[in-house]
Parts: sequence; C-alpha cells; structure tokens
Amino acid sequence: MAVAADTDAYPQAVIDEFKLLADECSICYQCGTCTSSCPSGRELYRGPRRLVRLILAGEIEAVLKSDDLWRCTECGTCTEVCRMDIDVAAVLSRLRKIEREHGGAISCPERTAADVAAARLRRHPRIDNMQFGVAMMAKGHFPKDKVGAAETGIKIAKQMLPRRRKRPAGEAGPASEGVATLPFYAGCALPQDHELHALVHEVAAGFGVRLDEAADAGCCGHPSRGAVASHYASAERVYTACPACDASLEEAGVEAVPLWDALTARAGRSPAMALRAAAPAFVPYVGCLADRDAALAALGEAAEQAGVTMEVDYPTLHNGCCGALGGMYRGATKAGARLLEFAAEKHAPVVTTCVLCRDNLHSAARELKIDVPVHFWPEFFRAEEHVSEERTDD
Amino acid sequence: MTSSSGAAPARPRVLLCECAGTLKNIDFERLEQHVCVHADVTRGDHWCSRVGQAQLLELMEAGDGRQLVFAGCSPDFAARRFQKLMARGLRLEIADIREGCGWVHGDDVAAVTAKAARIIDSSIAYPDAPADTVSYAERRNTVVVIGGGVAGTQAAAELAQMGHHVELVERRAFLGGRAARIGTVFPTNDCGQCLPTTDAQAGTRKCFHRNVAIDHPDLAIHRRSTVETVSGHPGDFQVSLRTLPNMVTDACVNCGTCETVCEADSSEPGKKAIFSEFYDGRVIRTIDLETCTFCGKCAEECPVEAIDFSQSPRRTTVHAGAILTATGCEPAPEKYFDYLGYGHDGVVTQVELAEMLDDWAAQASLGRMPVEELVMVQCAGSRDQRHLPHCSRLCCMIALKHAIRLKTLFPEMKVTICYLEMRTAGVGYENWFLDARRAGVEFLRGTPPEVQFDSHGRPVVEVEDVTAARKRVLRPDLVVLSTGMVPAIDTEKLTQTLTIDRDQDGFVEILDRKNRATETSAEGVFVCGSAAGPKALIEVNTEASAVASEIHNFLTSAGRRGTAASQVDAAQCVGCDVCSTMCPFGAITLVDRPGSTPRPDEVKDDGKLAVIDAQSCRACGICAANCPEVAIAHNLSDDALFGRVAVMTEGVEKPVVGFYCKECAGAAIGLSGQRRDRYPENVRLIELPCLGRVSALHIVEAARLGAAGVFLAGCAEGRCQYRSGDTSAREQMQIAGEVLAASGTPLPLELWHLCAVDRLSVGRRIRLFAAKADGELLSLETLEREMELIGAAAGAACGGGEACGRGR
Repeated sequence: MAVAADTDAYPQAVIDEFKLLADECSICYQCGTCTSSCPSGRELYRGPRRLVRLILAGEIEAVLKSDDLWRCTECGTCTEVCRMDIDVAAVLSRLRKIEREHGGAISCPERTAADVAAARLRRHPRIDNMQFGVAMMAKGHFPKDKVGAAETGIKIAKQMLPRRRKRPAGEAGPASEGVATLPFYAGCALPQDHELHALVHEVAAGFGVRLDEAADAGCCGHPSRGAVASHYASAERVYTACPACDASLEEAGVEAVPLWDALTARAGRSPAMALRAAAPAFVPYVGCLADRDAALAALGEAAEQAGVTMEVDYPTLHNGCCGALGGMYRGATKAGARLLEFAAEKHAPVVTTCVLCRDNLHSAARELKIDVPVHFWPEFFRAEEHVSEERTDD
Repeated sequence: MTSSSGAAPARPRVLLCECAGTLKNIDFERLEQHVCVHADVTRGDHWCSRVGQAQLLELMEAGDGRQLVFAGCSPDFAARRFQKLMARGLRLEIADIREGCGWVHGDDVAAVTAKAARIIDSSIAYPDAPADTVSYAERRNTVVVIGGGVAGTQAAAELAQMGHHVELVERRAFLGGRAARIGTVFPTNDCGQCLPTTDAQAGTRKCFHRNVAIDHPDLAIHRRSTVETVSGHPGDFQVSLRTLPNMVTDACVNCGTCETVCEADSSEPGKKAIFSEFYDGRVIRTIDLETCTFCGKCAEECPVEAIDFSQSPRRTTVHAGAILTATGCEPAPEKYFDYLGYGHDGVVTQVELAEMLDDWAAQASLGRMPVEELVMVQCAGSRDQRHLPHCSRLCCMIALKHAIRLKTLFPEMKVTICYLEMRTAGVGYENWFLDARRAGVEFLRGTPPEVQFDSHGRPVVEVEDVTAARKRVLRPDLVVLSTGMVPAIDTEKLTQTLTIDRDQDGFVEILDRKNRATETSAEGVFVCGSAAGPKALIEVNTEASAVASEIHNFLTSAGRRGTAASQVDAAQCVGCDVCSTMCPFGAITLVDRPGSTPRPDEVKDDGKLAVIDAQSCRACGICAANCPEVAIAHNLSDDALFGRVAVMTEGVEKPVVGFYCKECAGAAIGLSGQRRDRYPENVRLIELPCLGRVSALHIVEAARLGAAGVFLAGCAEGRCQYRSGDTSAREQMQIAGEVLAASGTPLPLELWHLCAVDRLSVGRRIRLFAAKADGELLSLETLEREMELIGAAAGAACGGGEACGRGR
C-alpha cells in the first residue's frame, strides 16, 4: 500500500492522532491474544490485533476504511487480556472517533447501526427501537450476512413497522389486545433462579401475555437448541430473555425476538396499558455483544413510555461485556467499574436485559464495593395495573 | 606536597618532550624559561625513543628522590610508551601538553605555550596521590557456596580443586538440584545429572553420584541447611547455618523396607515421607520433616537400625572470605497461569507433562496413544505485564523437546504449539526447531487469552492464527502450558541477609550486565547460574567455572596496592548520615563517638562519628564531595583540587573549566586529542578519579576565579564504575547552579555522559560549550559547519591545516 498517498489524503490532525496511537501501541507484541479473546462476530471480524498492526504500519486509510472498526462492541475484553496493558478497546474507540470526524468514506451496516444509535443519543438520551429500525431501513441496509446488532435492528424494524400506525390525536385504539400466548425460550440461567423465573411470568401476565415455555430450554451453546427448534416448529418466532440466546437461536435458524421488545411494543400499541418504572431514572447496561444496539434501543423505548430518564454516558453505552456469554463471573472488569461508578454518581439503579448481565454485574458491584442496585428488566418495568378486562382473540 | 621553594633540596625535574616536532604551536624556549624557575628542565625531541628511554632509565636508577614530571603526551599514551620502565618502578607525574594542549589548539603560539606552562605548573604543585597503599588485607581462604544444584556443586568442586576450602550449603538432603530431577535435557537429549570433572582428563564428565570431585577433602557439604545470618566484611564473613537432621544414618543399605510401612506422603510428588533419590548417592534416604508423623514404624522395621529420631537441628558458624549464591530458580507458581484453565482436568504444565512422558513411553510400546490432540501454549504467564514480565528462556526449548518426543512416540498425535516467538538462540538449538517442524509439529503464531471447556469438560482453545489473520478453535485432549521460572524459594530473604540487590524480576542482580555477570552489588558476594535468571545447563556450567576463577582472583588479591582510602577528620565530623547514605559500597558506618576523639564544638559527647572501612572504600571521592562539613579527606584533597583550578585558570581572561572523570570520559577526551579535534585554549581541563569527586564548592570556586562556564564529563549514563558518581555530580552541579543564580552570577553548567565512542563528537561539544560560555551567538552556519565536521569525522576532524595529522 502506498503509505505516502494515504497520509496525503488526511488532515494533519488525523496524522498526529495516528502518531499518538502508534506511540501507545509500539510495545505491542502482535501476540494475537486480543483477537483471540474478542467475542464479536466470530466469522467476519478480523480483530483488534490486525488494526493495531495497521496503525503501526502507518496505514491510515486501511484502518479507517476497515469494517472491523464497527464490529467492535467495546466490551473491553481485549483490554483485560492484553499482555502489555495496552487499552486496546480505547484505541479502537478513538479510531471510530477519528473516522466519524474525518472519514465518512466507509459504509457498512455495523457503522450505520452505531451511527444511528450515537446520533440519537447525542440529541436526547432516549431512543426507541422503532425509529432506529426505520432509520436502518431508510439507509437501505438489508444485509444478507449475519452481523449481530445491525441485522437485529432491521429485523425489528421489518417486524414492527406495518403494525405501527400513527394514531391521530383523540382517536382511541383498541382498548386491549387481550391475552396473547407467546412461545418463550427461557435459556440456561433464568430457570435456575426460580423466583426470578416466576417474576418474568408474572410481569408478562401484567402485559396480557402468557408465556409458553419449552421444557428443555438449555444454554445457547447447548445441543437442546435442536429440541427447541422442533418444539416451536409451528411458531412464527420465539421470544427470549437473553440477547445471547437470541443470537444463538438465530444461528440455529429460529427467528428470535427479545421478550422485552415485544412487551414494550405491546404497551405502546395499547392506550389502556402503560409501562411503570421502579425509579425515576436508570442506567442501562447492555454488556452483551450479541444484541447491544437493539437492546439499548428497546430500553430507550421503555424509558420513554414509562416517562423515566435513561442516564447514558457515552462510553458506558458500549460498557463492558461481563463475560456472560461464557455464563460465568470472571471478576470485575475495568469497563464494569466505569459503569458502576457512573451509576453511583447518578444515584440510579442499573437495568439490564439479561439475567446473566445482572448476576455478573451484581457480583462486580459487590467485589468493587460500589453500592448500586442492579435490576433485570422485569424487576424494574411492569405494566400499569389498570389493564382492561375485556378479552379479544389476538 | 611538593614545594616550589628553592630552599628545599628536592627541586623537581621536568622532562620536556617536543614529540618529534608535532607540537609546533608551543614555543619550547619560552616554556623552558618559565618552568626552569622552579624546576630543572631537560628537553628531549621525543622521550619515548630508545635514547630517551635509556636516559630515563639512568635518571630512575640514580634515584635521587626528586619528583619526575614528564611534560608530553597524555597519561594513557605515556603509560603505554613507558610501560616497561614503569613496571620497573619508574614513577612519572604526567603533564599532558600534547592531547591536552598542543594538538587540540590553533596557531596562537603565545596562548598555547601559556597553557602548556599552566599544565606543567599544576602537575608540579599538585601531583596525583601515589597508588602504593595496601588496599586489600588478608582474606580467608574459605568460600561458602549456597545451593547444591549444578551451578553450586560445580563451582564448589572447582574451587576445592584450586586449593580453597569450600562449605557447600544445600537446602535439600540431596545434591543435584532441579537439573538432576528432570528427565532428559536439551540440547543433548540425555539426563541432566552430569558435571564436568575437575581432573586432568579434558572433556570428561560424570554423574553427580559418581563424580569424585564432589568428594574432595576440602569440600564440606551441609545438607538440609539454610543460611541464617551473615556478618563481617568482604574477605572475612561470618555465616551462620541452620541444619535440619537427616534422621536416616549412614548405616542405611537402601533396602526400602521403611517406604513400604510409611503411611505419610512427602510434599514432593509421588514420594512417601521417607524417601530416596537416585542421583546423589552420598545420602541414600531422608525423611520429609514437613509431612512425617513421627509414628516410628519405619524405625521399628528397619533391619539395620539406620533411623534415628533422636537427632535434632543444629547451628554452625563458618568463617569465609567469599560467598557464592547459586540458589537457582523454580517453576512459577500457579497464580501466574491459572487464567489458562490450570487446575481443570486436561490442562497441565510442561513439568507435569515431563513426568507423564515416562508412562506414555510405556503406553507407546504397547501401541496405545494416550491423547490424540495436544496443544502447547507458550509464554503462559510469561512476558506479560500482568504476570511475569521476563522471558524465562528455557520454555521454548522444553516445548520443542517434548513435542519432538511426542511425535517420535506417537507419529499420529496432533501436536500444536501456540507461540508468541520461538526463541531458539543457542548452540545447536535451531536444529531442534527444524526437527520439530520436520516431525510435523504445527506451529501456530498466536497465544490464547484463556482455555475454555465444552460440556464434556474437554478443553477448547480459541486463538487467533496471527500469520493467517484468522481465528482458530482447537479442541485438544490436553493443553500443556509452557510456564515460566521464578527465583527459588526464599531468594528474597537470602538477598536481604546477604544485603545484595535483586533485579526487577526478583532474581539476584548481577553487578554489571556487560562485564560483571558473576558479581553482585555486595563485594565478596558472588552469583552464578539461574539464581540470576533462568538459564540452560550449558550457561550454568560456564558460569560456574567463571565464578570459581572470579572468586579465586578475589581471594588471592590480598595485598594488592591502590590509592589510599578516604578518611574522616573526627575534629570536623558532626555525625550526620550524608556520607553513609551516599557511599555506593556501604563502606561508611556511624559509630558512637569514642570519648577520646576530638570533636567539633557543637557535637555533644554522645554524638556519632562516621568511620570509613579502608577495606571496602574504593576511593571514589563521592563522600568527600558530599560531606556538608568538608570533613572527609580524599587522596585528591580539596586543597589540591582548588589549587589545580587556580593554577589552570590563572591569567586566562574567560576560562572555561571542564572537570572530567579519568575513566570513560578521559578515554573520549584523550582519543579526541589524538584525532587533533580542536577547541579554544581558554578551555581548561581538570582530571578526577571519578566525577563523583566534584563538589558544588569546586564549581563555585571555578566561577569565583572567573570561569565563564563549567562542564562536567562523566562516564556513559548508568555506567559509573563507582555506581553513583554521575548522579552525585549532577546534584552538586544543581546546588552550585542555585548558589550562583542566587548570587546573581549564573553560569552555563553542563553534565555530559561520555565513552570512548564519543571521541568523534566530544571536540565539537567542547567547542559549542566554549562558544556558549563566551556568549557567542551560535549562528546557523556555525552549527552547520560543526555538523559537517562531525559528518567528515570518519577520517579526521580538523580543518586540514599544515599540522593536520590526517590518517593518524
């Protein structure tokens, strides 16, 4: 590659920032541990190690035009594992900032997804997944490959767009949608916590939803996925309580939708139903790489409906992956600490869309001795009590 | 010292050398007239000629006790020229008017001659101190060697062979250390138990248990012993040892009955609390006191009554001239690599794999293959800022050795080595790497952050194949971690007992990474082998032999002569701790002031007094330079230093004074002079034994005498032979700078780090500094010209004048 030609095309500020980055990364061994650890898009993503190498080689254009920049979920795992204590996640974050300010040449679904979320968050700290999806479609992105958050965003938009009709002011919608039965895949962790499991059913019932659960729900990486697929053979889609389940079911060919999205949308459609939140403000924690932007969008939508504030500090939007995909607590991460400190400062509880996120973050809070409550979505949101008693078939 | 008064009979002789006409800018007539006022002058065309040397020999043999001053080339050059005469006792005071004057200055004959006169005056009035003091007293002929592994045992055997008495201290009951316990070793692929023999047969080696060198009458072995305390000083240490009883006496015939009745396990894997090792042989069996329950069954069953539980620990004190630390290293503990799934089934270390391999070899002979796929992870916890930052140097070769063994036993086994870098730099090592590739071992560049496990508990290694830039998921049956090495147990405690430094990785720090690989920060305490960092056997063997001759030199250097140690003037010492903290060699201690000593008025009876141990003092002068009371006399006294500055700067309008260390900086300046790299005559150089000798007072005195600038030239950064001479000088320079600034007369002050390679640039440095001190604005052209000269310096740096000695 012609390095000279590359650098000519970029303003001095970009060249200077790349020099700074190269200085910080100069001690890199290129051992590949960061890329080995990276949980993002296992097939497509070539990982942070390659980007660092390109920075060191002065290949500015190759870096800024790389899709890989946008496949990073800023989970922070690379920073955690780096032998040389390089803050790799921060390096990638700075690259995205440079690209936003000076690049603009690249167009890929991941980047668009991140852009939309970031732009909306900059305007007001609430986003709704509807408008997010519409924006995705307006940009003409219907990717054929599986690329995590972006694809989910589009899927949600496609699924929900026809039903979303603007109601003229004063016109009453249907009083209630009645009781719906949704196929629900509980995943590995939820059924182990009996109290929480019961709570999910109870909260869903509040929304007029009955959950039909497969008996042998297992882990996302579990062979029972096949059994689940056959159990719900007739179902249009399966609802889940965990973004990792979501992504894994998709991989197995089963369309999956986060239950919280469905409940939020249901409340949104029905004038007789409203979301109630347990506190006037909360900090979202969507550590999971599998579904970050869409899950954040859903939380934003829920916040808007419940009339509460979603406190978002930009770096914590992409806060840390708790390591939940492996299903076990591996100690507090730097990113987790950053998030918990932010929540403590805002005196707001943390709300997650995944039970593993909740448990792991809970452990992290205890380990770090930061006194912040961490709630699972149904522990924080529920339907307002005055559900109409009128029943209609869905 | 020497008076210039005519009344004294000892009028010095000055031998003026014209250096074969190469000193054209010195008017020797005038110089002689100047010097002959207070000395007898003999001129010579070049004194180093055969005729000149014969004349010198006559003068020397005449021996009238008069001071001989040679005015000519630099001390280094003269020392080589007059080497033979000096060996026969010729003592010359050298006044360097060649490299230090004529060769480095221009054509202003009057100015150059005046400077030469000053140099000679200074040498006559303030000569160097004689180096004829006995600086090393008697040294005990005993060496305490700590550690009975390959390194310690071999060094001990060689020292005994050289005629020294050796006390070998080993923590365990058996000699042989780690090397004897592991199976085969690289690069020879045989057992790790041989030592070179010390007998006359070159090239022979023998096992620990057969090597008679260890049974030398002057080699006493203390088994199960550790060092408790160390006192004394270099050449005469008192070392106290604690020895645990062996409990099994020499009567043991190794029948093994005891082991069959013993119910307790040893802390060493696979052994009972009463156990034997095959490789030493001098002690057959021992009891692990950590785990033994003292049930007494073994003693009851022993047919030869060799087990004696009545033995108890004992303490002994040995006196030694030198101590050798050969405590080795040991495998890193689990905490450094448990992030890679260690502790879970299916993950082992290379050490554990080595133990498994013997059994696997048996399985191979039965046609069985214990695992189908095996992954080795290199740098497990090593070269990692979060764990062990250092490279343990052995792990790459251990992995290759095991991989080749596996592929030899089981050609069908899939063996993958995930590596960061393969480091195979050693004699014959590269062949092992080649053999492993030929044998079909897969080398995957990339290291995993963790080892995961699938639902069947089988390891899953997700790793980036860096060279292919894609991720791989390996599902081996066994993961083998190539873990690093750490200092042996209790190294920290031992180094504290011996008051020696440790490096950043916790190993014993060697004194100098280039030249002093077997010495520690404490004089008389030596190190060899893996105690100073993990090493392969070839290096350990080499170091053991090296340290033996190093210790031999140390012990036999008693009576060597040098310059006198510094001394404290009790009448001025106030008992502060500046000198004792500054001394790089720990030679100064504060003692209770004896009642009879003189003391300064302000000191009360119970005050302290600094005392310098003449055995440990190396006469660097750092204490003298830093003493706030100027109470310490160095062999180059403050009076002499002030005098040199005064004589050298006398009559110069704006002198630039340069203090330089005679070692590396002296080499750079002397060699620059031989290249005739010019600088102005107003630069006046003063040689010091170490830059640490310079104090703020000397700098301020130079300023008082009108200096326009002062530079200090010391040795290369961090390379001071006295460890902290340059740091001391920097502090003193700062103090002087503050004093001068406060008195409204700030002065350009600089400190340079020089070594012999700087001969090409030091002339330019001096020129630029002189210009700066002179207040001359350095134009761009000047700088460019200087840079050009430096660029052309490969040949010669002068402008090419008539006296130019191009190609010299």
